[in-house]
Amino acid sequence: MGAPCHFALFDLQPDFRVDLAQLGERYRALARSVHPDRFADADARDQRLALERAAQLNDAYQVLKNAPQRALYLLTLRGHELPLEATVQDPEFLLQQMQLREELEDLHDSADLEGVALFKQRLKGAQDHLEQQFAACWQVVDEREQAERLVRRMQFLDKLMREVRQLEERLDD
Amino acid sequence: MAYSEKVIDHYENPRNVGKLDAEDPDVGTGMVGAPACGDVMRLQIKVNEQGLIEDAKFKTYGCGSAIASSSLATEWMKGKSLDEAEQIKNTQIAEELALPPVKIHCSVLAEDAIKAAVRDYKQKKGLL
Repeated sequence: MGAPCHFALFDLQPDFRVDLAQLGERYRALARSVHPDRFADADARDQRLALERAAQLNDAYQVLKNAPQRALYLLTLRGHELPLEATVQDPEFLLQQMQLREELEDLHDSADLEGVALFKQRLKGAQDHLEQQFAACWQVVDEREQAERLVRRMQFLDKLMREVRQLEERLDD
Repeated sequence: MAYSEKVIDHYENPRNVGKLDAEDPDVGTGMVGAPACGDVMRLQIKVNEQGLIEDAKFKTYGCGSAIASSSLATEWMKGKSLDEAEQIKNTQIAEELALPPVKIHCSVLAEDAIKAAVRDYKQKKGLL
Protein backbone atom coordinates (compact mmCIF):
# COMPACT_ATOMS: atom_id res chain seq x y z
CA MET A 1 0.00 0.00 0.00
CA GLY A 2 1.34 3.40 -0.99
CA ALA A 3 -0.50 6.51 0.13
CA PRO A 4 -2.42 6.44 3.42
CA CYS A 5 -6.20 6.47 3.33
CA HIS A 6 -7.65 9.94 2.80
CA PHE A 7 -9.85 9.57 5.85
CA ALA A 8 -6.96 8.46 8.07
CA LEU A 9 -5.05 11.62 7.18
CA PHE A 10 -7.75 13.58 8.99
CA ASP A 11 -8.16 11.04 11.75
CA LEU A 12 -11.61 10.08 10.47
CA GLN A 13 -13.27 6.72 9.98
CA PRO A 14 -14.15 5.97 6.35
CA ASP A 15 -17.80 6.99 6.10
CA PHE A 16 -19.98 8.84 3.65
CA ARG A 17 -21.39 11.12 6.32
CA VAL A 18 -18.69 13.64 7.05
CA ASP A 19 -18.86 16.75 9.21
CA LEU A 20 -17.59 19.20 6.62
CA ALA A 21 -16.90 21.96 9.13
CA GLN A 22 -14.75 19.63 11.20
CA LEU A 23 -13.00 18.30 8.10
CA GLY A 24 -12.21 21.87 7.02
CA GLU A 25 -10.82 22.76 10.44
CA ARG A 26 -8.60 19.70 10.53
CA TYR A 27 -7.43 20.35 7.01
CA ARG A 28 -6.44 23.92 7.79
CA ALA A 29 -4.64 22.94 10.99
CA LEU A 30 -2.71 20.16 9.25
CA ALA A 31 -1.95 22.33 6.24
CA ARG A 32 -0.47 24.95 8.57
CA SER A 33 1.78 22.34 10.17
CA VAL A 34 3.39 21.48 6.84
CA HIS A 35 3.40 24.96 5.37
CA PRO A 36 6.66 25.68 3.45
CA ASP A 37 7.29 28.75 5.66
CA ARG A 38 7.79 26.47 8.66
CA PHE A 39 10.44 24.53 6.79
CA ALA A 40 12.39 27.49 5.44
CA ASP A 41 15.41 26.57 7.61
CA ALA A 42 14.98 22.81 7.38
CA ASP A 43 17.21 20.60 5.29
CA ALA A 44 16.27 19.66 1.74
CA ARG A 45 14.86 16.27 2.71
CA ASP A 46 12.47 17.65 5.32
CA GLN A 47 11.42 20.39 2.93
CA ARG A 48 10.60 17.82 0.30
CA LEU A 49 8.67 15.65 2.77
CA ALA A 50 6.66 18.63 3.97
CA LEU A 51 5.83 19.53 0.40
CA GLU A 52 4.72 15.97 -0.36
CA ARG A 53 2.60 15.91 2.76
CA ALA A 54 0.98 19.22 1.86
CA ALA A 55 0.11 17.92 -1.61
CA GLN A 56 -1.28 14.70 -0.11
CA LEU A 57 -3.43 16.63 2.34
CA ASN A 58 -4.74 18.85 -0.39
CA ASP A 59 -5.61 15.93 -2.68
CA ALA A 60 -7.36 14.12 0.14
CA TYR A 61 -9.28 17.22 1.18
CA GLN A 62 -10.50 17.90 -2.35
CA VAL A 63 -11.85 14.34 -2.57
CA LEU A 64 -13.45 14.18 0.85
CA LYS A 65 -15.22 17.53 0.78
CA ASN A 66 -17.00 16.76 -2.50
CA ALA A 67 -19.89 14.30 -2.09
CA PRO A 68 -19.64 12.40 -5.38
CA GLN A 69 -15.86 12.19 -5.16
CA ARG A 70 -16.09 11.01 -1.56
CA ALA A 71 -18.66 8.42 -2.60
CA LEU A 72 -16.46 7.20 -5.47
CA TYR A 73 -13.51 7.01 -3.13
CA LEU A 74 -15.45 4.93 -0.61
CA LEU A 75 -16.45 2.47 -3.32
CA THR A 76 -12.81 2.30 -4.44
CA LEU A 77 -11.74 1.56 -0.87
CA ARG A 78 -14.15 -1.36 -0.93
CA GLY A 79 -12.50 -2.59 -4.09
CA HIS A 80 -15.05 -1.37 -6.62
CA GLU A 81 -13.25 0.96 -8.94
CA LEU A 82 -15.76 2.54 -11.29
CA PRO A 83 -14.68 3.06 -14.89
CA LEU A 84 -14.37 6.82 -15.20
CA GLU A 85 -15.43 7.27 -18.76
CA ALA A 86 -18.23 4.75 -19.07
CA THR A 87 -21.29 5.89 -20.96
CA VAL A 88 -24.39 5.95 -18.81
CA GLN A 89 -27.71 4.74 -20.20
CA ASP A 90 -30.12 5.65 -17.46
CA PRO A 91 -32.87 7.05 -19.74
CA GLU A 92 -35.33 8.40 -17.22
CA PHE A 93 -32.66 10.12 -15.20
CA LEU A 94 -30.91 11.51 -18.28
CA LEU A 95 -34.20 12.83 -19.63
CA GLN A 96 -34.68 14.69 -16.38
CA GLN A 97 -31.10 15.98 -16.59
CA MET A 98 -31.76 17.20 -20.10
CA GLN A 99 -34.88 19.05 -18.93
CA LEU A 100 -33.03 20.63 -16.01
CA ARG A 101 -30.29 21.86 -18.34
CA GLU A 102 -32.89 23.27 -20.72
CA GLU A 103 -34.52 25.02 -17.81
CA LEU A 104 -31.20 26.50 -16.73
CA GLU A 105 -30.60 27.66 -20.30
CA ASP A 106 -33.93 29.53 -20.22
CA LEU A 107 -33.02 31.12 -16.88
CA HIS A 108 -29.74 32.19 -18.44
CA ASP A 109 -31.52 33.72 -21.44
CA SER A 110 -34.01 35.59 -19.26
CA ALA A 111 -31.29 36.57 -16.74
CA ASP A 112 -33.74 35.51 -14.04
CA LEU A 113 -31.74 35.70 -10.79
CA GLU A 114 -34.71 34.80 -8.63
CA GLY A 115 -35.48 31.85 -10.86
CA VAL A 116 -31.87 30.71 -10.57
CA ALA A 117 -32.12 30.84 -6.77
CA LEU A 118 -35.23 28.65 -6.82
CA PHE A 119 -33.60 26.28 -9.30
CA LYS A 120 -30.58 26.01 -7.05
CA GLN A 121 -32.78 25.17 -4.08
CA ARG A 122 -34.48 22.37 -6.00
CA LEU A 123 -31.14 21.05 -7.19
CA LYS A 124 -29.78 21.11 -3.65
CA GLY A 125 -32.84 19.15 -2.54
CA ALA A 126 -32.22 16.55 -5.25
CA GLN A 127 -28.57 16.31 -4.21
CA ASP A 128 -29.50 15.83 -0.55
CA HIS A 129 -31.92 13.11 -1.52
CA LEU A 130 -29.30 11.24 -3.57
CA GLU A 131 -26.78 11.57 -0.79
CA GLN A 132 -29.20 10.16 1.76
CA GLN A 133 -29.94 7.23 -0.53
CA PHE A 134 -26.24 6.59 -1.04
CA ALA A 135 -25.46 6.83 2.66
CA ALA A 136 -28.09 4.18 3.32
CA CYS A 137 -26.82 1.64 0.80
CA TRP A 138 -23.12 1.94 0.01
CA GLN A 139 -22.12 -0.62 2.63
CA VAL A 140 -24.79 -3.13 1.68
CA VAL A 141 -23.22 -5.83 -0.46
CA ASP A 142 -26.39 -6.58 -2.43
CA GLU A 143 -26.92 -2.94 -3.29
CA ARG A 144 -23.62 -2.24 -4.94
CA GLU A 145 -25.15 -1.62 -8.35
CA GLN A 146 -27.62 0.81 -6.84
CA ALA A 147 -24.76 2.58 -5.01
CA GLU A 148 -22.85 2.91 -8.28
CA ARG A 149 -25.92 4.26 -10.07
CA LEU A 150 -26.37 6.81 -7.30
CA VAL A 151 -22.74 7.96 -7.52
CA ARG A 152 -23.08 8.50 -11.25
CA ARG A 153 -26.26 10.49 -10.73
CA MET A 154 -24.49 12.55 -8.08
CA GLN A 155 -21.76 13.37 -10.61
CA PHE A 156 -24.30 14.78 -13.07
CA LEU A 157 -25.94 16.93 -10.41
CA ASP A 158 -22.54 18.12 -9.21
CA LYS A 159 -21.70 19.33 -12.71
CA LEU A 160 -25.08 21.04 -12.99
CA MET A 161 -24.54 22.75 -9.63
CA ARG A 162 -21.20 24.11 -10.84
CA GLU A 163 -23.00 25.55 -13.85
CA VAL A 164 -25.64 27.12 -11.64
CA ARG A 165 -22.91 28.83 -9.60
CA GLN A 166 -21.21 30.10 -12.75
CA LEU A 167 -24.49 31.49 -13.98
CA GLU A 168 -25.10 33.18 -10.62
CA GLU A 169 -21.71 34.86 -10.81
CA ARG A 170 -22.33 36.01 -14.36
CA LEU A 171 -25.76 37.42 -13.52
CA ASP A 172 -24.36 39.12 -10.43
CA ASP A 173 -21.88 41.15 -12.46
CA MET B 1 -5.46 22.63 -25.20
CA ALA B 2 -6.56 24.02 -28.55
CA TYR B 3 -9.59 22.76 -30.40
CA SER B 4 -9.17 21.80 -34.03
CA GLU B 5 -10.76 23.99 -36.69
CA LYS B 6 -13.35 21.34 -37.41
CA VAL B 7 -14.40 21.16 -33.76
CA ILE B 8 -14.71 24.93 -33.61
CA ASP B 9 -16.74 24.94 -36.82
CA HIS B 10 -19.21 22.38 -35.45
CA TYR B 11 -19.28 24.09 -32.09
CA GLU B 12 -20.03 27.51 -33.55
CA ASN B 13 -22.34 26.24 -36.29
CA PRO B 14 -23.77 23.02 -34.92
CA ARG B 15 -25.74 21.07 -37.53
CA ASN B 16 -29.13 19.61 -36.76
CA VAL B 17 -29.63 20.93 -33.27
CA GLY B 18 -33.15 20.31 -32.06
CA LYS B 19 -35.77 17.83 -31.15
CA LEU B 20 -37.95 15.29 -32.89
CA ASP B 21 -41.19 13.99 -31.41
CA ALA B 22 -40.06 11.11 -29.24
CA GLU B 23 -43.60 9.66 -29.34
CA ASP B 24 -43.55 9.40 -33.16
CA PRO B 25 -43.32 5.69 -34.07
CA ASP B 26 -40.80 6.52 -36.81
CA VAL B 27 -38.47 8.32 -34.40
CA GLY B 28 -35.73 6.68 -32.38
CA THR B 29 -34.25 8.50 -29.38
CA GLY B 30 -30.87 7.86 -27.80
CA MET B 31 -30.07 9.41 -24.44
CA VAL B 32 -26.57 8.97 -23.09
CA GLY B 33 -24.39 10.65 -20.51
CA ALA B 34 -20.80 10.72 -19.32
CA PRO B 35 -20.72 10.90 -15.53
CA ALA B 36 -17.08 11.96 -15.23
CA CYS B 37 -17.68 15.23 -17.08
CA GLY B 38 -21.45 15.44 -16.56
CA ASP B 39 -22.16 15.62 -20.29
CA VAL B 40 -25.67 14.75 -21.45
CA MET B 41 -26.45 13.93 -25.08
CA ARG B 42 -29.74 13.32 -26.89
CA LEU B 43 -29.62 12.03 -30.44
CA GLN B 44 -32.75 11.32 -32.47
CA ILE B 45 -33.39 9.79 -35.87
CA LYS B 46 -36.45 9.73 -38.09
CA VAL B 47 -36.60 6.75 -40.41
CA ASN B 48 -38.64 6.71 -43.63
CA GLU B 49 -40.50 3.87 -45.35
CA GLN B 50 -37.39 2.83 -47.27
CA GLY B 51 -35.62 2.32 -43.96
CA LEU B 52 -33.35 5.31 -44.47
CA ILE B 53 -32.62 7.94 -41.87
CA GLU B 54 -34.30 11.01 -43.33
CA ASP B 55 -33.68 13.31 -40.40
CA ALA B 56 -31.40 13.42 -37.38
CA LYS B 57 -31.34 15.91 -34.52
CA PHE B 58 -29.26 16.28 -31.41
CA LYS B 59 -28.94 18.31 -28.26
CA THR B 60 -25.80 18.08 -26.19
CA TYR B 61 -24.93 19.72 -22.93
CA GLY B 62 -21.20 19.35 -22.68
CA CYS B 63 -17.85 20.53 -23.93
CA GLY B 64 -17.01 21.62 -27.46
CA SER B 65 -15.75 18.18 -28.44
CA ALA B 66 -18.95 16.49 -27.27
CA ILE B 67 -21.08 18.99 -29.19
CA ALA B 68 -18.93 18.64 -32.32
CA SER B 69 -18.98 14.82 -32.09
CA SER B 70 -22.77 14.67 -31.93
CA SER B 71 -23.18 17.35 -34.59
CA LEU B 72 -20.94 15.38 -36.95
CA ALA B 73 -22.76 12.14 -36.07
CA THR B 74 -26.12 13.57 -37.15
CA GLU B 75 -24.56 14.83 -40.39
CA TRP B 76 -23.15 11.43 -41.19
CA MET B 77 -26.33 9.53 -40.28
CA LYS B 78 -28.64 11.36 -42.63
CA GLY B 79 -29.44 9.33 -45.74
CA LYS B 80 -27.96 6.17 -44.27
CA SER B 81 -29.73 2.90 -43.51
CA LEU B 82 -29.85 1.80 -39.87
CA ASP B 83 -27.19 -0.83 -40.49
CA GLU B 84 -24.91 1.73 -42.12
CA ALA B 85 -25.48 4.18 -39.27
CA GLU B 86 -24.54 1.53 -36.74
CA GLN B 87 -21.23 1.10 -38.53
CA ILE B 88 -20.16 4.64 -37.64
CA LYS B 89 -17.24 4.28 -35.25
CA ASN B 90 -16.01 6.66 -32.64
CA THR B 91 -12.54 6.42 -34.16
CA GLN B 92 -13.86 7.87 -37.44
CA ILE B 93 -15.48 10.76 -35.56
CA ALA B 94 -12.33 11.38 -33.52
CA GLU B 95 -10.18 11.30 -36.63
CA GLU B 96 -12.44 13.63 -38.62
CA LEU B 97 -12.48 16.14 -35.76
CA ALA B 98 -8.80 15.62 -34.87
CA LEU B 99 -9.76 15.06 -31.23
CA PRO B 100 -6.85 14.88 -28.79
CA PRO B 101 -6.55 11.71 -26.63
CA VAL B 102 -8.23 13.31 -23.59
CA LYS B 103 -11.32 14.02 -25.70
CA ILE B 104 -11.70 10.62 -27.35
CA HIS B 105 -14.42 9.75 -24.82
CA CYS B 106 -16.60 12.47 -26.39
CA SER B 107 -16.59 10.56 -29.68
CA VAL B 108 -17.35 7.34 -27.77
CA LEU B 109 -20.36 9.07 -26.26
CA ALA B 110 -21.57 10.05 -29.76
CA GLU B 111 -21.16 6.48 -31.02
CA ASP B 112 -23.09 5.18 -28.01
CA ALA B 113 -25.82 7.75 -28.70
CA ILE B 114 -26.14 6.56 -32.31
CA LYS B 115 -26.47 2.96 -31.13
CA ALA B 116 -29.00 3.91 -28.46
CA ALA B 117 -31.15 5.81 -30.99
CA VAL B 118 -31.10 2.93 -33.48
CA ARG B 119 -31.92 0.47 -30.69
CA ASP B 120 -34.83 2.61 -29.50
CA TYR B 121 -36.22 2.76 -33.04
CA LYS B 122 -35.87 -1.00 -33.54
CA GLN B 123 -37.54 -1.67 -30.21
CA LYS B 124 -40.47 0.52 -31.19
CA LYS B 125 -40.86 -1.38 -34.45
CA GLY B 126 -40.55 -4.75 -32.77
CA LEU B 127 -37.32 -5.47 -34.64
CA LEU B 128 -35.40 -6.47 -31.53
